[in-house]
Amino acid sequence: MQKKYLHWTFYLAGLLILLLASVLLSLSVGEMNLGFTDILNILRHGNNGMEYTILSQIRFPRVVLGIAVGGALSLSGMLLQGVYRNPLVEPYTLGISGGASLGVAFAIVFGLHQLIGSFVLPFAGFTGAFLIIFLVYTFSSRSGRINIQSMLLTGVMISFIASSSMMLLMSTTSSENLHGIIFWIMGSLDEPDMSLISVTLVLALGSLLVSYFFVQPLNALRLGEEKAKHLGINTDTTIKILFLLASLLAGVCVAVAGVIGFVGLIIPHLMRMLVGSDYRILLVSSFVSGSIFLVLSDVIARTIISPNELPIGVITGIVGGIIFLLLMSRSSLRSKENHG
Amino acid sequence: MQKLNSLLILLLLCQLFGSAQEARRIVSLVPWVTKSLYQMGEQKRLVGCTNYCQVETSDKIQVVASVAGVSIENVLMLKPDLVIASSLNKPETIDNLKKFGIRVEYQSFPKSFEEICSDFIKIGELVGQEAKVKTIVAQQKERLMKLKASIPTGKNPRIFIQIGAKPLFSAIPNTSMDDLIQLAGGKNIAASFKIGSITREYVLKQDPEVIFIVTMGIVSQEEKDTWLKYAALSASKSKKVFILDADKTCSPTPILFVDALEEMIRLMYYF
Repeated sequence: MQKKYLHWTFYLAGLLILLLASVLLSLSVGEMNLGFTDILNILRHGNNGMEYTILSQIRFPRVVLGIAVGGALSLSGMLLQGVYRNPLVEPYTLGISGGASLGVAFAIVFGLHQLIGSFVLPFAGFTGAFLIIFLVYTFSSRSGRINIQSMLLTGVMISFIASSSMMLLMSTTSSENLHGIIFWIMGSLDEPDMSLISVTLVLALGSLLVSYFFVQPLNALRLGEEKAKHLGINTDTTIKILFLLASLLAGVCVAVAGVIGFVGLIIPHLMRMLVGSDYRILLVSSFVSGSIFLVLSDVIARTIISPNELPIGVITGIVGGIIFLLLMSRSSLRSKENHG
Repeated sequence: MQKLNSLLILLLLCQLFGSAQEARRIVSLVPWVTKSLYQMGEQKRLVGCTNYCQVETSDKIQVVASVAGVSIENVLMLKPDLVIASSLNKPETIDNLKKFGIRVEYQSFPKSFEEICSDFIKIGELVGQEAKVKTIVAQQKERLMKLKASIPTGKNPRIFIQIGAKPLFSAIPNTSMDDLIQLAGGKNIAASFKIGSITREYVLKQDPEVIFIVTMGIVSQEEKDTWLKYAALSASKSKKVFILDADKTCSPTPILFVDALEEMIRLMYYF
């Protein structure tokens, strides 16, 4: 038992060091390459110079948003995979991103962002995501009980309806609005509003904290819903709360940063391969790894074809997918060797 | 006398041939072609357009295309003698229209004022209005020369034209927007770019003296406020961050191009 905790501490410390290194790398590289001492000097003599502006108003907010969104998406994927006991489930499978995109498209097409203000776009994204969550939940619950399998199927179907509705909006709107929708869907960590970033970070960390109240139920659910019930777990309540928590996290992320795929699918898988299947370590390690992954993906997105920038979703999809395939082939090779 | 008769017959044939070429029922699948026809006063020839085209409701022009594609069936029902298409249309659509015996003219997106003018003249020729369009083009070229003469000498401000946000997109070389910058006497900070995505850091490092935000469905005011927040930025110090109307800036017709240039010069040097 002691050995297990020692391993966990070792993994967690390693991940936190990696996160710190990623943050420093992200703050250092870009159009102006800055050394660690340069960063400290610039921050110490804080003035209105261009280097200070770039560091404090561009790189720092991106890093914070990367930590919050990466962590939140990964945690959301981990919780959903735990609830559904299905490794293919991720926040976007259930139509959450489709709902958020539909909400934003609706706001752009009907000019709400021009009428009310720019904050309406993340708000519309979140409302769209929440509406989808509500529909999936309502269609999947019968007499107060949630049917997990039907929930997944409902999610996929509603996701199709949402994406088709978005196509409908896009095909009937003006080219100006179409342009706005396409740009928004691409996803980016380029968010200048620091208050929005702070809210996202607080929500992400708060959700990580809340999810730890459900570690035992999540571990019990690994044995199956029936067995978890026999162990005295209120599975219905657990599933409802965790589903809402995961959806809320994904909805907020899509609303703030657009559609960034694969984080919620790949990171939980990687963590299971690395630290095992106990949720006590899985939740926090997924959060930290998601943050590392997104911060590093953002570094690649804004430097690989610099001074041009790639949509971050392109990097998360390609890099994440390749790493995942490599690790999977290595682990299957190792298991063959063990059995041989 | 015989010579005179031959000349008259030749003139008559030319007239007849010309009339056969002159399009009377046009379907425009290109928004700026639709706009050009309106500016020539030839909108009565338009029978079909896209849902992106800006047309008068009273003209009763049928919408036959959207982002989802062109409704071939609707185009055929309008019995057009000319369809004007562009790179925005699928090659299959153009092939299909040709298969039904419809004359299709292809219009590529003009990359400079000169190309805008020659395309405008070409459209004018298609509707038999060469003289009219040549006059319009000559007038706009004269306006442009006067505007160029009004630019203060010795100034070449660094310009950033933003056409997208999250991710940030810039106007790049070989586009009419880049030509606008050049003609306004400015220097495009994305002059070395081949693709439009750009990092905010790069913009700050290049320190543009003037920033134009084109209202392409993005939250222009929010973007303007963001640029103004960067106190170290020259454009922010001189408060030269402006929002431009996309309709004017991105519609490649000689009149709108010179209108956009006039506004840019005013904002760059006389604001």
